[in-house]
Amino acid sequence: MVATSHDVMPDIELYQPADEATALDLASRLGNEGWLLGGGQDTYGWLKDRNKTPAAMIELTQIDAWKGIKEISDGIEIGAVTTLTEIANNPLVQSRYGVLAKAASVVASPQIRNVGTLGGNLNQDARCWYYRRGLDCYRAGGNICYADSPEGLNREHALFGASRCVAVSPSDTAPALVALDATMVVSSSSGERLIPAEDFFVGPDRDILNMTVLNDDEILTAVRIPNTWANAEFYWEKVADRNVWDFALVNIAAVFKVSGGTIEDSRFACGAVECTPRRLEAVESEVRGQQRSEELAVSAGEIATDGARALNYNNFKIPLMQNLVKRAIRG
Amino acid sequence: MGEIVRYKRDVWGEEVILGVSWDLLYVVFMAIVILLIAHAIIMAALAKKNLDRPTGDGRRVVRHESIDRLFHWLMAASILVLIFTGVAPILGLRVAWLDIHWISGLLLTFLVVAHIIRASFWQDFKSMLLMPKDFAEPFDSSRKPGKYYFEQKGMHWAVTVVALAVIVTGVLMFMQIDSPFWDRTNSMAEDQLGLVFLLHGLSTLALVALAATHIYFALRPEKIFYTRSMISGWMSEDEMAANHDTSKWSPKEAE
Amino acid sequence: MAYMHIGKDFTPPDVPGKVTGRIKYAEDYTREGMVYARLLTSPIPHARVLDIDASAALAMDGVIGILTADDVYPDGEPQSTGLKILTNEPTLVGEPILALAAVDEKTAESAIAQISVTFERLPFVLDPLDSLQPGGADAYNGGNTFVFRQGFAEEKWTADQVASFRAGNEPTAEPQQTVEYGDLDAAFGESSYVYEGTFTNAGYPHHSMEPRSALAYWEDGKLYLHGGSQSLTAFADGIAGIIGVPKEDLVFVNAATGGGFGQRARAGSVPVYAVPAKLSQKINRPVMMRATREEEFTLGGARQGLTGWIKVGFKPDGVMAACDLWIVSDNGGKGGGADAYSAADCISVLYQADAVRFRGTAIGTNTAHRGAQRGPGQNQIAPIISPILDVAADELGVSRLDIRKINAAMTGDVGGPQRTPFTSAYMPEALEQAATEFDWEGRQSRRRQTNGSKVIGLGIGQGYHNAGRSGMDGIVMMGADGRLKIHNGVGNLGTYSYASTSRAAAEVLQMPWESCDIITGRTDLHLPITSPQDGSNSIFTNTRTCYGAAQDMLTKMKEIAATDLGGDPADYDISNERVHQIADESVGYSYAQVAQRAIELGGKYTGSAELPEELAEWTQIAVSRLEGTGFMGIFHDPRHEGNPPGFTVTACEIELDKETGKIDILEMISIGEAGTIMHPKGMDNQLVGGAVWGIGLSVYERHLYDPQNGLPASTGYWQSKVPTYLDTPLKIETGWVDLPDPENPVGARGIGEPSMGSVSAALTAAITDALDGHIFGASPITADMIINHVAGTSEEAVPLAQNNFRG
Repeated sequence: MVATSHDVMPDIELYQPADEATALDLASRLGNEGWLLGGGQDTYGWLKDRNKTPAAMIELTQIDAWKGIKEISDGIEIGAVTTLTEIANNPLVQSRYGVLAKAASVVASPQIRNVGTLGGNLNQDARCWYYRRGLDCYRAGGNICYADSPEGLNREHALFGASRCVAVSPSDTAPALVALDATMVVSSSSGERLIPAEDFFVGPDRDILNMTVLNDDEILTAVRIPNTWANAEFYWEKVADRNVWDFALVNIAAVFKVSGGTIEDSRFACGAVECTPRRLEAVESEVRGQQRSEELAVSAGEIATDGARALNYNNFKIPLMQNLVKRAIRG
Repeated sequence: MGEIVRYKRDVWGEEVILGVSWDLLYVVFMAIVILLIAHAIIMAALAKKNLDRPTGDGRRVVRHESIDRLFHWLMAASILVLIFTGVAPILGLRVAWLDIHWISGLLLTFLVVAHIIRASFWQDFKSMLLMPKDFAEPFDSSRKPGKYYFEQKGMHWAVTVVALAVIVTGVLMFMQIDSPFWDRTNSMAEDQLGLVFLLHGLSTLALVALAATHIYFALRPEKIFYTRSMISGWMSEDEMAANHDTSKWSPKEAE
Repeated sequence: MAYMHIGKDFTPPDVPGKVTGRIKYAEDYTREGMVYARLLTSPIPHARVLDIDASAALAMDGVIGILTADDVYPDGEPQSTGLKILTNEPTLVGEPILALAAVDEKTAESAIAQISVTFERLPFVLDPLDSLQPGGADAYNGGNTFVFRQGFAEEKWTADQVASFRAGNEPTAEPQQTVEYGDLDAAFGESSYVYEGTFTNAGYPHHSMEPRSALAYWEDGKLYLHGGSQSLTAFADGIAGIIGVPKEDLVFVNAATGGGFGQRARAGSVPVYAVPAKLSQKINRPVMMRATREEEFTLGGARQGLTGWIKVGFKPDGVMAACDLWIVSDNGGKGGGADAYSAADCISVLYQADAVRFRGTAIGTNTAHRGAQRGPGQNQIAPIISPILDVAADELGVSRLDIRKINAAMTGDVGGPQRTPFTSAYMPEALEQAATEFDWEGRQSRRRQTNGSKVIGLGIGQGYHNAGRSGMDGIVMMGADGRLKIHNGVGNLGTYSYASTSRAAAEVLQMPWESCDIITGRTDLHLPITSPQDGSNSIFTNTRTCYGAAQDMLTKMKEIAATDLGGDPADYDISNERVHQIADESVGYSYAQVAQRAIELGGKYTGSAELPEELAEWTQIAVSRLEGTGFMGIFHDPRHEGNPPGFTVTACEIELDKETGKIDILEMISIGEAGTIMHPKGMDNQLVGGAVWGIGLSVYERHLYDPQNGLPASTGYWQSKVPTYLDTPLKIETGWVDLPDPENPVGARGIGEPSMGSVSAALTAAITDALDGHIFGASPITADMIINHVAGTSEEAVPLAQNNFRG
């Protein structure tokens, strides 16, 4: 198959389970031949262009148990097939976890947010254009990277953590959830495992074929956000070329516990600079116990990009990331 | 099971080699396990005849100098690390394998090069040479070898060939990734790159088979003294006399 | 003048269909027995097809047949630039190699995957300057450039010449084309401020919403072709030749078109419509060919990317003394246009420089084909020249508005290397109106004000395109019901020009709009030839023809009335759908009656005699079929004199965030100077639509090809960065000068293209303003460029590279 856009949906089995057990059973039975379908915004392009050819789709949006936002003993739980629009507009999320509401509100476009789900946003595949074109690169199981090369068009690619593949995490909600220290609820027919958001995503050094640690038989069913950072001060910003329907050039999510102008504690995460949301622990320790100030913002910004390795066309992400960290600290 | 070679489309849609089919890893592994188990059973069946094993007691001779043992174990360690880190992602283990892999690969390359130089100029190179007459050795129980018997030489040269193949292809592959020494270039055409991956994969498979065989024989009761000699450096005169022709190999006495 | 229709809003007849979704585009039609075609396109940027093995595909159930280049060019492919229907010699990724028809699209797509094509890979090139290097690859088979009437040729510079240009210096190579007027050296000698530098313009795709899909079938020896185009009869006229069908046997059906921006005006830009036509002929089934978004990217082509060097000199009072322009044009894989020349022409027209020299060379690359796109040349140079004007103004102590007024074109001026007089020109009025409505002077206190990392920038800019042609034909008909039928071949590309121009006929006959029918949408309704609907010409060109045809009918009405009712035709006038004596309005005919009389009289009144000489062949066919069916007004438009310009002025205020590189357009106003305004709502649409395009040109849209393998990276709307709703101001204010042009019977000139250029000029000027006079010399100026500039980060991009970031 030549790498091009074919734009014709192939024949494919569609399963529409209405309950959890059936869905988990299907996921287990179909393994890597079963494609989990949320809002379909990351799915149909792959399938219509015939660059991914699973035998079946398992549509998860009819399972009520995996929808909606509810309070739990320690915080809230958001079902994985809850739409991004619902998350962005939910009063509970808005009031306690504004950073997530804000992040969800700037994903793609209103139309996509209306059908796109949290699970889909977190699990979406890399947006590297070479990979998306259907080329057999490392991420597609091949033996070459077209983006990381002397002439590669890699303006949107990674500053950190590259290992053969230089694609970045495209999600807007992921950095927010990492900043909020959320937990991913991952289910399979053999049980449930809870994974810290930070560990849910995986870089190419450990798994070049996948963006998350989900195994073939597993489904991300919910995200739990603890009370730890509820009502914390937060900063969110997404810088993209366009204000609608675009992926971040760099985005930042930060939450702060501030007392009398002093940052007692914080968590920072940046998207689109690494294959996973990048937690900025060095920045967190730099600002811990410090008064907010321009000097602090500048020093923390510089620390944030320590170890960055620019490619041909993404030099700008270094000052941009520094600037976003500065802005977060300024508040 | 299926194909031996995996193919992919190159950037312009033409089919090129991607590499070896990793199904073969299971095939090779199973084949070696079956062969070695079969060997173990046959040896067990023949075990009565071989009861009078030489003893390790008594006077000792030097079998391997400490530098050679160091070389051997470093090579062994790097090869095992290379095999593990190379195979881990194929088995679906999520480990950050690549840096360890190429660092081990560089270590192995250095050791092999150093060993070749040492063996060529400072060691008894001839002791490892396989001569035509050596091929009669397995079939004539009256013939005893010098320092290395036929199978040992065979194993050494098989490992040499496979290791060199894996090293050469590995170095070529290493040049295709970013490293502290260079940025990757994409300079190799995709069909050539696929061929390199294929040869690396095939030599890896051979290396897995050889390593498994080598370890098996190293652990066999009738050969374990060789393993001991590779650890401690010595073998007993009794062991030497039973297995080697002292006219062809006269080691110095161990301390 | 008090008009009945002109200058008044109305609802064009296709609007309800567009609002309700009932209007049909090419893909919406079906035909009994219809099969579906899919294209196999080249995966390689430059290759030769050695062998096609379609046996496996043809053996599949549901596969009907294939069409190859050998089928459409039995005597061999044309050895020239220009798009081909299908080719065995692709010069860009995505060029159609063959088409396959099957019972449904899925089968066709699966069958395409079974076809094995053996290619010989040939060297390819993506940047004109790389091709100019000694030993650089040539995009075409036979060279990297095409010389008219000579064929392919190879153009090479020395390595030093290329390196020197990339380093920012004036090219020293011999240009293919040189055009100049005035004494350049003397003019620079008079200059007290001279700017000199290199620049790039990205040549980005058209990306029409409706792709180049088409349906074709043959019935009773006639070819019925459904497709989208900007023009109607002009397009049909051309596509008949490409397909090889006599004009009288072609019915082109095109009621609505989902966007056309230059590359859908002429059939030569859309030869792919011949694929379903030829395939249908071969397999004897109706064929629907639906083009994908990516295919539309390739088939639709792009504007020319320009890589240039500019030197501009200003006298102490701000008068532009001289402009020296050297441009290497990226002609893509199939040849291109004359954007570079138009850029020089635009500078001459807009700024009335005393001396201008243009030097240019056009070089092919293995990228999308190039051709006219909204303001080809004029709009690329707008974002380059405007910031230069501002820096010059600041240097000379002249206000940025005044430097534009000082140099503005007026009636009586001439413009362009040909020194063509304007039919009329009211640029000073447009500048004044924009400045007043925008409160340009009042806002100067906000200039470069900062708020944290944000800084205010103000910009004002001008746009120009030649906006009118002539020499076309007009037909109006009236039946015994007295309704006026305006046969309009303009084409419906979404601007409603087909309706606006028709209103000139209604105006002449003082006909209530409710009593008019616009006959358009398919050529078997017998439509006159028009100019291709490009170059902002329709309003000027086709109000002339509609007006002329209605005038002919009016003259004939008066003749009939005078003959039947007595007196001289000059004694008659019209009102309330009657032709009557001026002295006694009761003596006359209703339009229904006069039409009935015309039909009875026949001859010249029904198109059977005394037809204008020089009617186009296409019009003659239409007239021959309409002959005798009704009262006919017919007109062949003589040529006009002079250059009817379309001018716009835009002013804007932006807030630029130096930390994120993002630009927020706070306010924007565009003023049109296009003679009399035919349709205010349409004018507003043109100005606002042009503004969105101008924003895209200035800061978003790009054209990327992977330098390693020639694959296009910006084939869709996301990667090409077409601006979205939130990237444009919530409200773009509009206005117009509304002074009549003497060369048009209703005073109208066109506006489509300049409305984009002035926005780009204003926006890039505002960016330069916000960044204290920094000139990027590029379009687009993307966020990363601003961040890098502010941070002092160096860019690793190859200077002046086309089809890459920054060009």
